[in-house]
Amino acid sequence: MDIKYDKKTSGIEKPFTQLFLLGVLFILIIFLSIYSPFFLKWNNIRNILDHAALQLIMAIGMTFVISTRGIDLSVGSTVALTGIFIGLLLKAGFPIFLSSILGVLAGGILGTLNGILISKLKIAPYVVTIGTMSLYRGLSLVITKGQPIYGFPVEFTYFGKGDFGRINPPIILAFSIILLGAFLLRYTKWGQYALALGGNEEALRRVGVSVNFYKTTIYTFSGLTAGLAGLILTSRLNVAEPNAGFMLESDIIAAVILGGTNMKGGKASISGTVIACLLLAVIRNGLTILSISSYYQQLLIGIIIIVSVSISEIRQGKQIRIYN
Amino acid sequence: MNFKKILSLLLILILSTTLLAGCNSGEVNKEMGKDNAEEEPQEKSSKMTEMENALMSQLEPMPEINKGEKIGVLVISLTNPYWVNMKECYERAGEELGIDVEVLAAPTEGDTTVQLETLDGMIVKDYDAIIFSPIDRNNLIPGIIRANQAGVPVINLGPGVDEEGLKEQGGFLDGRITIDFENQGKMAAEDMLKQMPEGGKVAIIQGIPGAGQSEGRTKGAKEVFENAEGVELVSIQPADWDRNKAYNITMDLIQAHPDLKGIFACNDVMALAAVEALETANEREGVIIYGVDFTDEAQEAIIADRLDGSVTYSSRAYSKAGLLLALKIAQGQEVNEAVYSPLVIVNKENIDEFHGWE
Repeated sequence: MDIKYDKKTSGIEKPFTQLFLLGVLFILIIFLSIYSPFFLKWNNIRNILDHAALQLIMAIGMTFVISTRGIDLSVGSTVALTGIFIGLLLKAGFPIFLSSILGVLAGGILGTLNGILISKLKIAPYVVTIGTMSLYRGLSLVITKGQPIYGFPVEFTYFGKGDFGRINPPIILAFSIILLGAFLLRYTKWGQYALALGGNEEALRRVGVSVNFYKTTIYTFSGLTAGLAGLILTSRLNVAEPNAGFMLESDIIAAVILGGTNMKGGKASISGTVIACLLLAVIRNGLTILSISSYYQQLLIGIIIIVSVSISEIRQGKQIRIYN
Repeated sequence: MNFKKILSLLLILILSTTLLAGCNSGEVNKEMGKDNAEEEPQEKSSKMTEMENALMSQLEPMPEINKGEKIGVLVISLTNPYWVNMKECYERAGEELGIDVEVLAAPTEGDTTVQLETLDGMIVKDYDAIIFSPIDRNNLIPGIIRANQAGVPVINLGPGVDEEGLKEQGGFLDGRITIDFENQGKMAAEDMLKQMPEGGKVAIIQGIPGAGQSEGRTKGAKEVFENAEGVELVSIQPADWDRNKAYNITMDLIQAHPDLKGIFACNDVMALAAVEALETANEREGVIIYGVDFTDEAQEAIIADRLDGSVTYSSRAYSKAGLLLALKIAQGQEVNEAVYSPLVIVNKENIDEFHGWE
């Protein structure tokens, strides 16, 4: 029952899925650049990165959650609630930077609440977060009475759509979170325990690791990423609304799974998550650029998820799963 | 183990209470609405009186009022500002007409079965008539049939039901009052073209594909664009009524069509997202953007010269007409024709006439 941290079983490296996705991404890029002269223009590439940024940030948090064999369905609602919190602070005259920081931290608190319920009360993550999903959305609606909050200071929109050289703050934030995620997963005890929690929680507990602490903080991290996404979304659209991020969790979870992180826990891939988010953003962008109805978008994304997950499962074949 | 079960139950209980609190947010709104009503001057804009008269003339002969009838209203969802506003309008009109009005809703815009269950619950509550706005064309049909059997008059306001399907199953509507969605798209597109005499490329941003409002408005606008000379409709993209999706689509559209001259969005939320996106990209100049609904936010944006126009009608007159129609039917009059609420274009030129619009 001991836990192995070597890369094969702990599953940090599982490059096949990632390579496969990367291949799909390249084929798509080549195809799109042949069919549309606009695709490879810098402004369009910047658009793709900008659109992917929101998903990327939240997907990194979700990657850790899913690697513990958990799930966080409340992230979409957290985006709305933190956005509204920031909106109210700004309306009350708080400085922009302080409001933004407090908003992101509020996301962390909402995540921590998930984590405490899951770890201390041992309620299934699915149950807890489907509850808090409604709870946070309900709070957003009650607070705003269903109406959007708008009219923030112009400087506030910098986080969402300002220029930073040739890129913008959301892209920089997404890049930083990716680096942070990769670092945490690879080089810290915290990241290793996330995988181990998904692999064999009981074993981890018996060797004296404070399982509850690590579990809770992983949900805190997911909440923080959702808070950051809430900040970016509110700032980009210059509106905080209770419907923001509706069903966003399904996009995020789809990206994480597509990227090769295993729902059964114990396997995580930051690079896979990143490639998957970019792939989904390229598909969405490409369909608009080519003026194809996005009915096909749903279809295409569904096919890609099923095919790539099937292929990697088949590849894994008889590999013994460590939680057995 | 039992401890865990009890805790889970407790948690579920707490969550559902909060959820119910979410549903009851209307209560808070009611108070808020009253406060606002007291603060606002009671004078109506000239446009509003004009439209109210046009709508009311369709309802002659008027029913008797102040008879204390009980009317139940089932709307789509109070998570949508539109229906929150309609609820307030219904309640205010109810007071004006001296009748009891109760407004209920599904918890979210997608909850088709809960909306049906709510209707079933309403049928046994002894209303003199029920006004309903279904989430989709079919979800309320079984409830309508049960209302028919119980002898409760049913009036369909706004989004329609599949009347053929209803008839086949032996049900019927006692009255219908609605907005012509196709005409909304048509009017917006026509007014847009007036502002772009040289024509050029235009695009449409849809709501959820398949939703009545979205399909109707798209169809109306599409026909106008396709039949106009020098106008090229380059793209129709669904953004699911979502602000962020509409923002992203607009960003992508101007990459593929840098010479885009016009965007018609199927509601104001998406139109405002398009405005936001074009402003960010420094491409706002020379593009005409229209939405539908004329929300408070859109009103401010038109005044600030950010949004070019919107299509609307008076929710106040609309909800009042709905209640009057219900009263007529409850008092035994027969109304065979559908009643259509008149529509009006709001743009930079006439925005001043819309002060205090509701």
